Amino acid sequence: MRDNAGLLHRHHLLLRRLHSLTGILPIGVFLIFHLTTNSSVLWGAINTRADAEGLARGVATFQHEVAWINNMPGLLLIEITLWVSIGFHSVLGVVYALSGKPNVRLYAYRDNWRYTMQRWTGYIGILFIFYHVATLRWGWSFLVPGGAQWSHHFAASTLADALRGSTTSITPAGVGVSLLYFVGVTSLVFHFANGLWTAAITWGLTVSEQAQKRWGAVCTALGAGLMLAGWSSVIGFLITDRDQARGIEERMLIEHYGEDRADQIITEHGHADADTDHNEQAMTETQD
Amino acid sequence: MSKERVIVVGGGLAGLAASVRIAEAGVPVDLFSMVPVKRSHSVCAQGGINACNEVARQQGYSEYQHFDETIYGGDYLADQHPVLEMANWAPRVIDLLDRMGVPFNRTSESNRDLRLFGGSLFKRTHFAGATTGQQLLYALDEQTRRYEAEGKVTKYEFWEFLWPVLEGEGDDRRCVGIVAQDMRTMQIRALRAGAVIMATGGCGLVFGKSTNSVICTGGAASRCYQAGAWYANAEMIQVHPTAIPGADKLRLMSESARGEGGRVWVPRKQGDTRKPTDIPEAERLYFLEEKYPAYGNLVPRDIASREIFDICVNQGMGVGGQNQVYLDLTHKDPEELDRKLGGIIEIYEKFVGDDPRKTPMRIFPGVHYSMGGMWTTYTEGAYHPDHAWGEHRPGDPTPVDTQAGRGMKHGATNNMMTNITGLYAFGEVNFAYHGATRLGANALLSCIFDGLFCGTSVVNYIQTAEPSHEPTTDIDQSVFDRVVAQEQSKADRLVATASDNPDPTDAAHNPYAIAKEMGDEMTAACTVVKAGPRMERCLAKLAQLRERYAGVRLADGAMWTNQTLSFARAVGDMLVLAEVIAQGSLARRESRGSHYRTDFPDRDDDNFMRTTVARHNPDGTHTLEFRPVRADLVRPRARTYGQKASDKKSPVTDREPASAT
Amino acid sequence: MPTTAYAHDSTAAWRRANRERALPGRTVILKIKRCDGPGKPARWESFKVPVEPGMNVIAALKHIAANPVTADATHTTPVVYDANCLEEVCGACTMVINGHARQSCSCLLDEYAPREGDTITLEPMSKFPVVRDLWVDRSRLFHALTRVKAWVPIDGTYDLGAGPKEDPASQQDRYGMSECMSCGCCLEACPQYTHEDDESKWDTSFVGAHAISQARLFNEHPTGKELKPDRLDELMTPGGVTDCGNAQNCVKACPKGIPLTESIAAIGRQVTLRAFARFFQGK
Repeated sequence: MRDNAGLLHRHHLLLRRLHSLTGILPIGVFLIFHLTTNSSVLWGAINTRADAEGLARGVATFQHEVAWINNMPGLLLIEITLWVSIGFHSVLGVVYALSGKPNVRLYAYRDNWRYTMQRWTGYIGILFIFYHVATLRWGWSFLVPGGAQWSHHFAASTLADALRGSTTSITPAGVGVSLLYFVGVTSLVFHFANGLWTAAITWGLTVSEQAQKRWGAVCTALGAGLMLAGWSSVIGFLITDRDQARGIEERMLIEHYGEDRADQIITEHGHADADTDHNEQAMTETQD
Repeated sequence: MSKERVIVVGGGLAGLAASVRIAEAGVPVDLFSMVPVKRSHSVCAQGGINACNEVARQQGYSEYQHFDETIYGGDYLADQHPVLEMANWAPRVIDLLDRMGVPFNRTSESNRDLRLFGGSLFKRTHFAGATTGQQLLYALDEQTRRYEAEGKVTKYEFWEFLWPVLEGEGDDRRCVGIVAQDMRTMQIRALRAGAVIMATGGCGLVFGKSTNSVICTGGAASRCYQAGAWYANAEMIQVHPTAIPGADKLRLMSESARGEGGRVWVPRKQGDTRKPTDIPEAERLYFLEEKYPAYGNLVPRDIASREIFDICVNQGMGVGGQNQVYLDLTHKDPEELDRKLGGIIEIYEKFVGDDPRKTPMRIFPGVHYSMGGMWTTYTEGAYHPDHAWGEHRPGDPTPVDTQAGRGMKHGATNNMMTNITGLYAFGEVNFAYHGATRLGANALLSCIFDGLFCGTSVVNYIQTAEPSHEPTTDIDQSVFDRVVAQEQSKADRLVATASDNPDPTDAAHNPYAIAKEMGDEMTAACTVVKAGPRMERCLAKLAQLRERYAGVRLADGAMWTNQTLSFARAVGDMLVLAEVIAQGSLARRESRGSHYRTDFPDRDDDNFMRTTVARHNPDGTHTLEFRPVRADLVRPRARTYGQKASDKKSPVTDREPASAT
Repeated sequence: MPTTAYAHDSTAAWRRANRERALPGRTVILKIKRCDGPGKPARWESFKVPVEPGMNVIAALKHIAANPVTADATHTTPVVYDANCLEEVCGACTMVINGHARQSCSCLLDEYAPREGDTITLEPMSKFPVVRDLWVDRSRLFHALTRVKAWVPIDGTYDLGAGPKEDPASQQDRYGMSECMSCGCCLEACPQYTHEDDESKWDTSFVGAHAISQARLFNEHPTGKELKPDRLDELMTPGGVTDCGNAQNCVKACPKGIPLTESIAAIGRQVTLRAFARFFQGK
């Protein structure tokens, strides 16, 4: 061992392997649940137990899922673990990515494209996750066109507002946000699927070329599935009937908390909403 | 560790084996090479390495028969004692390489696999695919790197040997170091050493295109020769029967292709234009198999080369009317070919474009190896029979066992030492083992054997002989400075010609043009067939080229990484060696092994079972002397390889191999 | 139309097709990136070379050495390059040809420039310091072999009998890896292997696929295995196997078809197991 070895140097392998591990657990696993949950706004349409009709079943299913998650024990701990993992994976990832010099221009092989894309999707992913969490979780609504505030009580409708840039229609800025989500989700899914494939090499699970090929097929399938889930989430929230969704959400709120508590939540959220007038009007209508 | 160091010049099999052996004994080694040692020419050796083995032994083979074959193959020109020692050591050499991790091909029972090779009826050639030389070199390179990491070997890679540093006169004269040049910075400096080992390989580039690598100019040997070392049997140049003609070099197509069943043929009908695969068996002339039923395609190389030459040049039977014959492997299982011959098949595919698994290869002889080289001596071992023995037949009891020291005395300080005390020559650069023709797969053996066996001699020399009581550290610096000045002025003079070079393309003064003409001339006059008048002409041409060389002009005057300087300097040294080769060829008025004279087609043991020893005179001329061969172990017999009586007459021609280059 | 082939065109099929349509007696242009020495500026020079049958890049460079005149009739110096065996087994003559690292000896003009006036570009490898013109200093490559102790620790050259027996399958595996000629194509193509002039950083910068594969080769040998812990410990440090980014260019660039990516994965596995063993067994 070298005498001048610093902390990073001495724990090089540990850090590298933790970097690889965190990408899968918890981040990758979370991504799977997250996208499965979000895409339920579409696939929930087949959920006959949902308390709604047609496509709106998706909204109900989604709201149900979100509510379930929000009632999970130790949610904050899970969240903190996730944030720490993402921070760790991102910082080290950038350091590692900067150590290489992509050369796809000269060596235009598919695998080399994968390598290069892994770095770019990583950078994009970091920016996207930051925007995503800042606007929807921390409530930095000044970064949201239309200023929508996401609420887990009104999961589908507020998300639809955030994506569209307005509570009424899709604004040009909203198209931008939606595109950002599309690119962000696509990047992260690629990054995860490819990362899962290379992790098997890194850890030494897939040694032979055939094994790498087979595992590649598995990762491609998983990636394709997640990609569909991701895209259908974005599309799902874009095509959701926002007002109808709000109605379903409020009804579910009342069922869950009883009328008094629900009214309180609705009022709180309503007042905080940028689009107050319209929302209040909408609320009144649904309450009727 | 010893205070005296050893300089090894050349990092091929011989140089690396010596380095490892000597470093291991506690003597520090300075290893010089013009290329990173892992890129040495030994990588080109393909077929394998010979040694008696248990299977062959139980079939009646023995180390002694290996020795007998080598002497017979070399047409009785080799001193016999060192050859006996080499054959006896061969199994130990294989074992050592095996321990070093060489991936020798294996049988289903995990034993080392064996293949048939030229000049033997027994499978006694160990191999690693078709890149055996590469694999052996890597094993030794790895061991050298290990000692380098331990500080026991210091590598000087990209350094060119320029001149030996000699001290003293007459009997007191000894080699105390070398002068070398860093090929990148162009720095010329002297290094002291108790002993210097030349392991610089062959001189194929004297013939222009050969199977040799680009550094195989023979320059280092020539410089030692000009400094006073003797050069022996220069005329013994092996022309390999199967090479792929190329624009820049001739690429070797290993004898192992025939060892694994490859057959040499031409269409029976002259000028047959059909594709080779369309020509039925009956219309093919397997000329080697017909003429030599016992050995078939595996007659020694000189014989195969002459037969191919005869078919093409004299009989005009070459494929497509050109100087080429088929080497056919298409009847073999492609998978087996990949496993055993993958390396050479790939070379043919890459450089010619055809797939040898599907279509016969087209090949022609090419200059391959120098049996001759720096003259070396040795101390005889314990085996001294009452009378020289006759032919050894399989299963016969052997007259001597295989203990170390039977042929050469183990550790004697003069083993493979040149006529200059302290200057040794190991591997292809010496003349010791192969006589007038080297048997296939004996080269790797002789290189490693020299390094291991004679490496011990060098250690003993350092520890017990001159360097032990007259350390080189005590020698006056002026001895070294003088040689540095000599080489510096030589380099300066050459570089200076670049500033007065109005037309660098003018062939009259261009070193590359001069080298090409020398190569063409040497190939035409001094290879497969030689004749007195032709060689006279060759010598005249060489004299002319030497004159032109005196006015050589470089196109590069840089004092940084000037390759033109290095090459131009070597051209001068190659011309010297070319003269020695041509003069030796002219003086040897007989035919023996690779040396075939149309004007003297028979072997003449009475007059020429002798070593040609050349000495360089101060005026640039050469003095040739024939010294007797030590042949008290095996009696000479006719070297026929069972040739059918009806074909007894050897191919004779005066024609030149027009496109043999 | 004179053209420069693109790097990704240099597939076997593309080369074969070119060879079949190559015109005899044509002239090709060699566009060569030249540099007089370390720290000197690079410049491009073009040369017209008449093509002979079977000619390779080396033969063209030899032609230029004997006729050092550029395409615009200016006298220049012969091009400096590294070469030795010319059979693609020594690795010396590696350079960047039309953007790709490969051996120049096996680069046939018929395959790369089949038509009159076609251009072939030659550049020195970019991952190593240029000595002059096309000649680079690949010392770092050999240093990596020392780093991973790529040798079998035998008990000296004494006569100690045969080595360990080996089954043919294992021999074939080792032989495949042992064909590595240290040419550096895998390093030139690798996006994780970057130029590093500072020798003091060679111990912490990426060793590259070739050295990882050599570590695997010797870890598989019954005696070579003795040093397996040392090799794996070294490959756990910065610049070791973990620095691989799985771009897998190495295996495609390797002229000897060595399964470099399998070696990387195999060493990844060995490193994983050793790390666990060290963690749970305390060394």
